[in-house]
Amino acid sequence: MSDRRPDLAALGPALLIILCAAVGLRLDSYPQYVIAVAIISMLVGTALVVLVGLARCITLASGSIMAIGAYVSTLAVAQLRVPYLGTLALAILAGGAGGWVIAFLGTRFRGHNLAMVTLVFQSVSIILIRESRWLTGGAEGIHVPAPEIFGLAIATDRAFLIMIGIAVAVMTLIVTILVRGPFGKNLQAASGNEIAAEAFGVSVRGYLTAAFVVSSIAIAFAGALLAPRVRILDPDSFGVLESIFMLAYPIVGGMHAVWGGLIGGGGLRILPELLRPVADYQELFFATLVIFVVMFFPGGLTELIRRVVASKVKPTPPALAPVPAVPAAPTDRDETGPGGHELLLVESVDKHFDALHAVNDASLRVPARAIHGLIGPNGAGKTSLFNILSGFLAADAGRVTFAGTSLLELRPRDRIRLGITRTFQNVAVFGQLSCLDNVIIGLGRNAVLHAMGASFDHFARGAATRGAQRAALAALESVGLAAQAYSRAGSLSLGDQRRLELARAIVYHPRLILLDEPVSGLAESETEDLRELLLRINAERGIAMLVVEHNIPFVSRLCRSLSVMGGGRIVAEGKPADVISLPVVQQLYFGEQATS
Amino acid sequence: MLTELGFVVLAGIKFGALYALAALGLVVVHKATKTVNFAHGAFAMLGAFASFLIVVNWHWPYWAAYLLIPWAIGLIAAAMESVILRPLRQADMFTVVIATVFLGIAISEGFRLTYNTELLAVPSLFAGPPFIVAGVLITRDTLWVIAGALAAALACIALFSYGRFGRGMRAMAANIRGAQLCGYSIDRVYMLAWFLGGGLAGLTGVLIAPVTGVSIDLSIAIITAGFVAGVIGGFDSPKGAIVGGLLLGIAESVSAAYVSSAMKNCVSFLLLFLVLMWRPQGMFPERSGRSV
Repeated sequence: MSDRRPDLAALGPALLIILCAAVGLRLDSYPQYVIAVAIISMLVGTALVVLVGLARCITLASGSIMAIGAYVSTLAVAQLRVPYLGTLALAILAGGAGGWVIAFLGTRFRGHNLAMVTLVFQSVSIILIRESRWLTGGAEGIHVPAPEIFGLAIATDRAFLIMIGIAVAVMTLIVTILVRGPFGKNLQAASGNEIAAEAFGVSVRGYLTAAFVVSSIAIAFAGALLAPRVRILDPDSFGVLESIFMLAYPIVGGMHAVWGGLIGGGGLRILPELLRPVADYQELFFATLVIFVVMFFPGGLTELIRRVVASKVKPTPPALAPVPAVPAAPTDRDETGPGGHELLLVESVDKHFDALHAVNDASLRVPARAIHGLIGPNGAGKTSLFNILSGFLAADAGRVTFAGTSLLELRPRDRIRLGITRTFQNVAVFGQLSCLDNVIIGLGRNAVLHAMGASFDHFARGAATRGAQRAALAALESVGLAAQAYSRAGSLSLGDQRRLELARAIVYHPRLILLDEPVSGLAESETEDLRELLLRINAERGIAMLVVEHNIPFVSRLCRSLSVMGGGRIVAEGKPADVISLPVVQQLYFGEQATS
Repeated sequence: MLTELGFVVLAGIKFGALYALAALGLVVVHKATKTVNFAHGAFAMLGAFASFLIVVNWHWPYWAAYLLIPWAIGLIAAAMESVILRPLRQADMFTVVIATVFLGIAISEGFRLTYNTELLAVPSLFAGPPFIVAGVLITRDTLWVIAGALAAALACIALFSYGRFGRGMRAMAANIRGAQLCGYSIDRVYMLAWFLGGGLAGLTGVLIAPVTGVSIDLSIAIITAGFVAGVIGGFDSPKGAIVGGLLLGIAESVSAAYVSSAMKNCVSFLLLFLVLMWRPQGMFPERSGRSV
């Protein structure tokens, strides 16, 4: 945790590439060529781990992006006399731009629509290259001059291998650092649970766009490195079939780690060389292999290895999370809290859905440090009001202020900065990530560029990374999950996932947590544990809470004050015991007879 | 001038009708199963290849191709659904899409390995002289393709709108659990949807075979055009798929004639771009809003 050593594991993939190149140097010319193109495929595989594995976007445009890199580099050398190293930079720019175009059109969709947008991009780019004969030489192709680096001609297989080994190792290191750091984790959060990600300032479209740009940069770079090696560049070497086979790299190799892309890319590129005698069948073999992998080994080879290792190494049985002693519920505290001012003030909020008046002139107030409950039967408008407060729904009219600042115009991520966080009715943890990483996302510093920078800090184990980890561990500690800090969040029980959400909600030291049915689906004992935990957090950290809940006994033992909603209106307010016995509330829950 | 335009538009309608049929197959499967079948183009290519086998290799009469191929491709599609996709029922859309993409590749490659040629030609159905209407030359084949594709598409819409089969598929589309509770078997409805989609793909293949010949490129060309046509139409609307297909066909034909032949291939991208930017729900969105 507060370990100061840099993240040495991030060097592994780059070292593997250097190793492959070094082995190749001792071999003949032909194996050197094979290893060089395999190394390029390893980079493509790595790039696709970002896009396919972490962002879960299916791309069928990798071939065209590679073509963009290759053509930009070649044309810049041939037509503009730009030195080769300079053209690599141009290829990166062009690839990034291509990725951005796809993302701009595609990221408003998921799944098949996105895949189709990439397929159309692929087809059109290749057609444009083929038809622009005056520039690209059309279908016959264009001769690629041998590159020169600082006056050194790169003409032999040996020289190519050295150049490609170094260049790919550098790019792989950069991508690995991004994948292992907050950028890669936030990307997984964005693709894993969009609503929860947005609630903590992880912009889903922003991250998916970044994933397209980053992976396209690496793929275009790979194209520019490959171009001089193929000598004659023609558009049909970058067709849709090539794109589809590149898609197979992370799927077969493994989708959740750079290693998967390396193994998939290198392995699937070398395999055809070994299968020379049956070369005709290789595409059919690949396609069958992929279908086999998605059916029986989802996640690919690295995931399979991880599972085998996990089943061999019995993990220490997860200790039941100890619930520390509970301080007495501070029932007799001043209702308005110290300072006596209202933290959250909701005034005359209105919301219509067509003819349905979901929230009708609702007002409530939550004093600092208070625990306020919001109850009401189904359809009373609680969830609508809650979503307005958390920023997931716009109000038609009314005012909501938080410590004097108007909330209604603010996006969820801006509300975090003010000190408002939330939990979700259906637990919304990021299952692929460790508990620690889940909580770190709760710190809310999740803008794309910031996360990219933080990834390098994460690699160097800088002060910011260590600070974030310390804060997250402390938050896990206070909900009793410190022992599970490095377990995958998806492997926790429902009760523990709810605790984890709570840790994520308190790590940024908010002044108010909005709790959306915090005990739905929990067993009675877990409910009691959670109630004690909430009381303790409230007492120790002074965080105010607004709880929307159906479980009346739970709410009335947790909250010091309640608002009751019915038909969109607030019908009663006060101390739990008083409110629940009011005739109007009884009538709301039990119908007319109860009052008569 | 006008005569030329008439000819160009007619050629566009011919391809458009084929795109519409391809799109309809995609839409039928998507409506019932919420999956885009990326192997759809490969199924159509398989249909075109089968008509080459029947007409050229085996010298059977042409009507046998029309009679047999839709059923055969439909059965193959249904079999693929139950073997490959049924085990993936619990997986997310991402996995299913990947499976159908590579299923399409496997089919195309299987074809390429059987017939290692660039292009197989399939003769036209009619040998008679073309009609001339108001100076526009109309071949019998063109009329047949347009009429056949549109008639099949309309029949399919009728099947979808009425009858237990269509009701089951629409129920699945609206609410899977609800439909299951009402006694519709998810496995049967999905298999039927794939059977129908495969049948439409097979018919697309038979109709397109004399027009373009049979090649491995057919697979990608059909899935791309069908998808764009579907998106223009709203993707869940069978009627929209037909209008989208015709629109795409005419736009391609007109731009190829009056701008450049390279432009023809970019039209689909431009149309997709425009529709996605301004009407992501398509020109004929299905009404799904609830009325309170």
